[in-house]
Amino acid sequence: MNVDKHQHITDSDLLKNFYQEKDNQWLGMLLPRYTLLLFGVCMKYLKNEEEAKDSVQQIFLKTITELHKYEVDYFKSWIYMVAKNHCLMKLRDRPGKSTADLLENVAGVVSDEEQDLKFHHLEKDRTLDLMGNALDELSVEQKQCVTLFYLEKQSYQAISATTGFSVLKVKSYIQNGKRNLKILLDKKLQRK
Amino acid sequence: MSIDLLKILSDSNKDIDNQKLMDYLTGQLSAREIHEVEKSMATSDFVNDAVEGLMEVTNSRDISTLVEQLNKDLGKKLQQRKSLKEKRKLKEYPWMYFSLVLILLLMVAAWFVIHRLRVLHP
Repeated sequence: MNVDKHQHITDSDLLKNFYQEKDNQWLGMLLPRYTLLLFGVCMKYLKNEEEAKDSVQQIFLKTITELHKYEVDYFKSWIYMVAKNHCLMKLRDRPGKSTADLLENVAGVVSDEEQDLKFHHLEKDRTLDLMGNALDELSVEQKQCVTLFYLEKQSYQAISATTGFSVLKVKSYIQNGKRNLKILLDKKLQRK
Repeated sequence: MSIDLLKILSDSNKDIDNQKLMDYLTGQLSAREIHEVEKSMATSDFVNDAVEGLMEVTNSRDISTLVEQLNKDLGKKLQQRKSLKEKRKLKEYPWMYFSLVLILLLMVAAWFVIHRLRVLHP
């Protein structure tokens, strides 16, 4: 895989330059950073390599057009939302396919990142106690997987071998456990 | 361990580069690196969806070629747009380009006149 020659320039700086100069060369540096991720997302939802490839090209075109119209702050979250919406439209055109799972996740994209940032800036000692309590309130499976993953730094495969859960279950316990931790911590912080 | 507890909710903005993702898919990473990629997956729905999708590609070795092809096509499209924009500029400001040509012609004509006068009145 080709190395990004401009990796020292951040996404936001590339975007800033683009908005100042309205020159697509900046997008030519920014968009290839996301080709692999976009192709993966399209593959996940469309399950067809040719369709996923065409979709990435269409998402690029849409991105170029939209970025000329208005300013985007969180590019990574935004392009992910564009990709998911594109796949959703494609799936809608297919007869008899459910789009419920896709719809469920679309709304949460930006809010998740914003919430992560919020917790990042919280006072350490105060949060630490609350986090310990919140972790105890998770279900046994979620607590076990979150602890093995984040505190003991085990891989999905290793946790699966230790616990006997499938890799898919392990991922789900970790993701849901993390989400529940956020909710519990938020509640505890509001109470204090 | 206590600091790691805090990191559960705070390390969301670390990006994983494409090469590392590819190495993860082809099973070429150490245990520490695998955990790093999976932590990124657990934090970012974008990365998680992408990895799940990429795992469905029949031959993961083809992915790099496909990505390079997509990037080449993107480069071509951006270049085409640039050329179109330049052509449009020419159409939008025809008087500017006409004036430039006229000024150049006048300069050449002036040079000829001066040259001729110098020959006639040395």
